[in-house]
Formats: sequence, C-alpha cells, structure tokens
Amino acid sequence: MLKMQNIRKSYRTDTIETHALRDFSLEVNEGEFVSVTGPSGSGKTTFLNIAGLLETPTGGQYLLDGQEVGNLSDSERSRLRNEKIGFIFQGFNLIPDLNLFDNIDVPLRYRGFNAKERRRRIEKSLEQVGLSARAKHLPAQLSGGQQQRVAIARALAGEPRFLLADEPTGNLDSLMARQVMELLEFINEWGTTIVMVTHDPELARRAQRNIQIVDGQVSDLRQTIAQPEAAIA
Amino acid sequence: MIGYYISLAMRSLRGTPILSALMIAAIAVGVGASMTVLTLNYMMSQNALEHKDSVLYAVQLDSWDPNQAADTANEIPWQLTYPDAIALLRSDIPTRQVAMHRFGFTVNIDESELRPFTANTRVTTRDFFSLFDVPFEYGGTWNKEADTAAVQSVVLSKETNDKLFGGENSVGKIVKLNGEPFTVIGVLKHWNPSPKIYDLNNNPFADSEELYIPFGLHRKFEIYSWGNTNGWTSRTAEGAEGYERFLLGEHVWIQYWVELDNAEQREAYEQFLTGHIHQQKEQGRFERPLKFALSPPSEWLVLNEVLENDNRVLGWASLAFLLVCVINAVALLLAKFLRKAPEAGVRRALGASRNAIFTQHLIESSCIGVLGGLFGIILALAGLTGIRVLAMGQADQIAAMNWEMMLAAVGLAILASILAGLYPAWRISRTNPSVYLKTQ
Ligand SMILES: Nc1ncnc2c1ncn2[C@@H]1O[C@H](COP(=O)(O)OP(=O)(O)O)[C@@H](O)[C@H]1O
Ligand SMILES: [Mg+2]
Repeated sequence: MLKMQNIRKSYRTDTIETHALRDFSLEVNEGEFVSVTGPSGSGKTTFLNIAGLLETPTGGQYLLDGQEVGNLSDSERSRLRNEKIGFIFQGFNLIPDLNLFDNIDVPLRYRGFNAKERRRRIEKSLEQVGLSARAKHLPAQLSGGQQQRVAIARALAGEPRFLLADEPTGNLDSLMARQVMELLEFINEWGTTIVMVTHDPELARRAQRNIQIVDGQVSDLRQTIAQPEAAIA
Repeated sequence: MIGYYISLAMRSLRGTPILSALMIAAIAVGVGASMTVLTLNYMMSQNALEHKDSVLYAVQLDSWDPNQAADTANEIPWQLTYPDAIALLRSDIPTRQVAMHRFGFTVNIDESELRPFTANTRVTTRDFFSLFDVPFEYGGTWNKEADTAAVQSVVLSKETNDKLFGGENSVGKIVKLNGEPFTVIGVLKHWNPSPKIYDLNNNPFADSEELYIPFGLHRKFEIYSWGNTNGWTSRTAEGAEGYERFLLGEHVWIQYWVELDNAEQREAYEQFLTGHIHQQKEQGRFERPLKFALSPPSEWLVLNEVLENDNRVLGWASLAFLLVCVINAVALLLAKFLRKAPEAGVRRALGASRNAIFTQHLIESSCIGVLGGLFGIILALAGLTGIRVLAMGQADQIAAMNWEMMLAAVGLAILASILAGLYPAWRISRTNPSVYLKTQ
C-alpha cells in the first residue's frame, strides 16, 4: 500500500535547516491499522503530510499503491489525494461556515460526482457516524467528539483506501476518544488502511502495529498483538 | 464546478458583509467615476457619418482678414459667405452638395387649437437629405429649382409632424411659417445625430431642426442666420442697401458640404476651388495666401474640438482613479483571503489542486466585480443625471448611457476585480497547506 525508502525532509529557513525526517523507511500493508507515536517535534506530522501527498520529500522514494509519486504534478497529486486518501486532524478542521452536509460535500465536489451521487454518499457517511439528524447544523453547534465524527465522515465519503489521522483524539476527553477509536477500528475492519498518530499509549496499543518516530527516524518496530475486538470488549 | 465556486463566493461575501461592502464599494466608485467620464467622451466622439467618411467633405475657404488669420483650428473660417456659396453651387463636379444654415420660424396651422410655436429651421439646398442619409417617412425633398427660386415648400421632422398632424401623412397640407403658407412636401423619420456633425458651429449637442425649407427663399423672407455670423471688415458689399447688404457681405454664415466619390472627382473639385479663389482675388477679395480645406466627417469632428482635450485628460484621470480603487481592493482581498487560508488548506487536503483553489478565489473576486459593476452603473447613471441637470438640457444626448456602455461598465468592473484578485488568489493557492493544518 505505502512504501517509503530513505525519505528525507528538511525545512530551510534563513538561519537554520531542520531535518524533520532522515533516512525514513517504512512499509504499510493493505488493510493494516498502524499507530505512530513519538515525542513532540520528532517528525510524525511531517511523515503523515508526505504520506498524504500534502508535502513533497526533499529526497528518497515514495511508492503509493506501487506508483512512484515523486514526479507527479500538483493536479495529479491532488487527484490521488482526493481519490485514495482521507485525512483526519487533531483540530477537526471542519469549514466553520458550511453545515455538516456541505462539509462532507467538499471532497466529493473535487471528485466530480453528480448531485445525486454526492447526496447518496453524504447521507450514507453521516449515517455511519450517527449524525444523520444533524446534517443542516453548523460545526460550532456540535461537541468536539461529534465534530471529529463529522471529519471522519468527510474523510470516508470518498471511500478512500487509506486513512491518515493526526492525533484524532488529542482534543477529546477519554470517553469521546474511545468512541472515535471504536469508529476507526470499525472502518479498518471494513478494509480501510489506517495510519494514526497518537500520544495515547492505550490507543496506540490497540492498533495492530505501533511504530515509534524519534528524531525523524523510525526507532523501533514492535509488533503488537492484533486483537482489536478483545480490546473493545 | 463554476456554479459551486460562485455559491462559495456568495457565501463568503455574506460571511464578511462589511469587508465585502467595502470591496464592492471600491470597485463601484472606481467604475462609476470612470464610466461617467468615459460615457461622455464616448458619446462626444460618435460619428454618425462614419460610413461616408471617404466621400463627404466640409468645405472651408480662406476669405478672411489679410492682416490676421481666422481664429479656428486650421486658421480658415468654419463657414462661407453667401456669394461664395452661390458660386460653389454652380459647380457640377460634386455628386451632391449642400449649402445651409440655421434659422427659425413661428409655426401655426389654420383651424387648429395648437398655439403658435417657434421652430428651429434649417435653410438648405435639396441634397441635404440624401447627403446626410436623412430618412423620409412620407414624401421627399424639393425640386432643384427651389434651391434658387422662392418655392414655399417645407419638410417636417417626425416630432413636428406628430405635434402638428398627430403623425399622419401630412404631405400636401399647408403650414403657416411666420404667417405665410408653406406646403408640406415631406416628413422625416426620427433623426437626431449626436454630435450634430453637419452643424458643429452652433452647439454640437443640440437637437436636429424641426423644419427644413429651400435655399431659394432668402430674398423673399429676408432670412438672416440664427447661427453664428462672423465678419472681419466693415467695408462690405459696397453700394448695396438693407438686406442685400447683409446677403452679399463679406461675413461668413453658410455651411457647405460636398460629396466627392473618388480621387479624380476630388482633384477636379480642388482645381475648381483654386480657380474660384484666383478669380475672386482678381476682384480684390481673398487677399490672404490661397488656402481652402476639404475635411471628412472624422477630421471635421477633431478640427472642431468636439471632444476637447480636457475631456481626454479627464478620461485618463478617471482610469487612474479606477486603478487606485483596484489597488485598494487588492489589499482588502489579500486580507480576506489570507484570513480564510486555513479553509484553503483543508480543501487542499481533501483533494483540491492549486488551480482549483486559484480559480475558486478568482471567481470570488469576479463576483465582487459583477456586484461592483452593477453598483457602478447606478453611480454612473446618477453622475450623468447630475450632469444633465447641471447642463440644463444642453447635454441630454451625450450624458446618457446606452446598452453598450452598461456592458462596458460591467466588463470594466470584472476586469478590474480580476486584476485585483489575481495576486491574492495566486498567493493563497501557492501557500503550503500543511502550514494551516497544524494542530491549533
Ligand atoms: N513548515 C515548517 N517549517 C520549518 N520547520 C518545520 C515545519 N514543519 C515542521 N517543522 C519542523 O520539523 C520538525 C518535525 O515537525 P513535526 O513533523 O510537526 O513533528 P511532530 O508532528 O512529531 O510533533 C520540528 O522540528 C518542526 O519544528
Ligand atoms: Mg504533529
């Protein structure tokens, strides 16, 4: 699904050069649920942004679904991002002046679906996250946990094969965090590959595999026991 | 997708009503001011005879003061003396030719409730209508003999015919001009070129005349000019008395146009004019160096400075003002777009390409342009109304917007707003989305 080899990413400002990722190599297989942990500033977000084609690496090779994406144009990368990748952020990042329906509509517009197909998908994904009744509400009228579920619905509406979540529970209390985690596990069961950055060791343990990033490199690959159902129970 | 972008733009404009109003006002004020000035300039530069520009010529002869050139753009008097006009009319070189001037009559008809009124009148030779493409509704022009003999025929404008006869075919009816009976032989369709190219000496933006009578009537009615009459000498028409002294005098008051269809004809006519001037010189007239001019309508408009230089400068100044307004709009748009940058970041993450973000924002600024253009038209209409009121009827024809100018206003506004939006839209589309997706 995802294969990174010797990826480098450095940010150059006037005075200093920051190496956010160095010789970063990682493989994620189709259908996996991978959690990513590591200290703040270690390069986790940078990794997700590169994986999600929001940023280009300074060096190295990145294959998405076997396709080398390094030389693609912006519009080709945007199309891949639109079709294959769903993003979930810690800050939810819903568009504040669009209601839930129109928020979920955004990726479908760029996909070019007709109105009927968009409506079908929006209604279906709102139903999946249990917010059908709130379609006309604005994000500000929802709780944090509900907002994150809308963000998940928005990421799911395009039926991406690959979901990237950057501390999706970071702004939520533990009850809501657990609900969001259960939703992600459910999505993963239906076949979507998930990479989730988290600070919560308990949530990290519930993933099939946990990787740790330290100083821009994968420090320690340790296989966790794949038993999500048991964890929920 | 365009529809989606427009709905996003309208939502975004509603989201920041004050900022939107400021941007729309900036564009509207700029467009309103420049369209007011540009409309005036455009209407003043119209040439109703453009299609005849290669065959029509206004004739000027330099019969002026040997000690001082005439005070005109080409130092030749605008008009001719009556004797010169009569001499020129004898030439059969031009396909058509017109000698004419402005006059006025008191009009009434017998057995009518209508109160007598004063009508602007054109005293002219018969070719006036065909030379200037004046359309007839009923009847036509007078015979050739009426150009030299006193024949009491009259052609009515559409408006006069409406007033006198309720618009019906009045050919053959009698109209009293200064109490004398005149037979109606023709009625025009509506015709009112602006600028009034065939007579720029007397207010170029006045309406066309209400009556047209033959040139052969001067002596019978002792017709003077109601237009400009300019002289330079008091030794004039020696031996003549009274009206005859005016008619044969050395002052200029007759406007003269010829139609010359090709270069040979024009050359022959120039030779004819040269001959005429030489002949007059022998009789002690035309003491200045031999000089005459044949000016096609487009040149005639420029010579007469219908569009004054001040108006041109004002035109450029108004565009400069529009530019200032556009720069203001750029600053406001940039502020607005950068404030909405996080949204653009989210859209990028969800699959929008840079081009999509660029287009979305450019369409938002175009929407501001359309709204600014519509308000700009309202401002321009208000400005033009103000000018009409201030000019007290003198500018009714030029201080008016036609459809073309309204479309031009919206076009100008869209152009201005696209220019204003280009940089902000480009900035926002090039910004790295990840910067805005960081955890807050
Ligand atoms: N746009 C940027 N410009 C400069 N430095 C950056 C930028 N984004 C991230 N960095 C730096 O790269 C390093 C990794 O950042 P990040 O991937 O956000 O870490 P994490 O998500 O693990 O906290 C940090 O040192 C950060 O300061
Ligand atoms: Mg981070």
